[in-house]
Amino acid sequence: MRLTCEQAVQQFFAYLDRALSGEELADLEAHLAACLDCCDKLAFSRELDAFVKRHLPDNPVPAALEARVRRALERAQGT
Amino acid sequence: MSLGKGIDRPVLDPATRQRFEALALPHLGHLYRLAVRLKGTAQDAEDLVQETYVKALRAFPALRDPDRIRPWLCKILSRLVYDDHRGEPREVVVGDLAELDRFSLYDLIDQEDPFPYSDQLHRDFLARFDDAEVRRALLVLPEAYRVPLVLLYVEELSYRELAEALDCPVGTIMSRLHRGRKILERELWECAKQRGIVRTR
Repeated sequence: MRLTCEQAVQQFFAYLDRALSGEELADLEAHLAACLDCCDKLAFSRELDAFVKRHLPDNPVPAALEARVRRALERAQGT
Repeated sequence: MSLGKGIDRPVLDPATRQRFEALALPHLGHLYRLAVRLKGTAQDAEDLVQETYVKALRAFPALRDPDRIRPWLCKILSRLVYDDHRGEPREVVVGDLAELDRFSLYDLIDQEDPFPYSDQLHRDFLARFDDAEVRRALLVLPEAYRVPLVLLYVEELSYRELAEALDCPVGTIMSRLHRGRKILERELWECAKQRGIVRTR
């Protein structure tokens, strides 16, 4: 099936997440092979994903957390 | 991967708890980082991690494959966040769904052209945001969207694995990952407007 740009864009996230297969994947790849505009949009979606992942918080584990969890487990065992 | 429903009052002897601790506590750091990403604050993350471990201890006798304890713990933690918010998310945040589905940050940056001399316009736009702004945008997402998106980013689960972990259909996962990213795009655009990166009102 020939996809319109609007239909192709709706599939981008599933494509990036490797959730497309078979005919859906082939249709999207055929569209991308012929549409530079959609290739640019797809590249931006990919970049945006990587950008958000890079900015996710990465806090160090609080030193007291393990002791706190152990105490909670000890209490839970008795209940 | 059972969460041990129906075994809320197991017999937990000290040896079982010690075995659980030996298997589960090495994953504390991973769980804490996931919790911070899901909840946004260190305090909420610590509470969530503690609640996860207590729930997991009670369900531990039902865990069939101890080698899979880390994904099992991640699933329990994620479900604690997701299950309280699994219905349709707050309308005020999501807005009109058809409009949200059509939202395109790429097109808006293209139309606004905030850096006329840039040869990498979209990349330059993203580079204007700092950690705190991106994290704030992520926290605007209702949990029903944020949980699957963070699990996708951090745990790199497939749609099928996400559906299994969150106990919902693959189609729901697919639409929530799509809309979650669209809300994120919209929040970044709103932030850009507020900061004067773009002029559009």
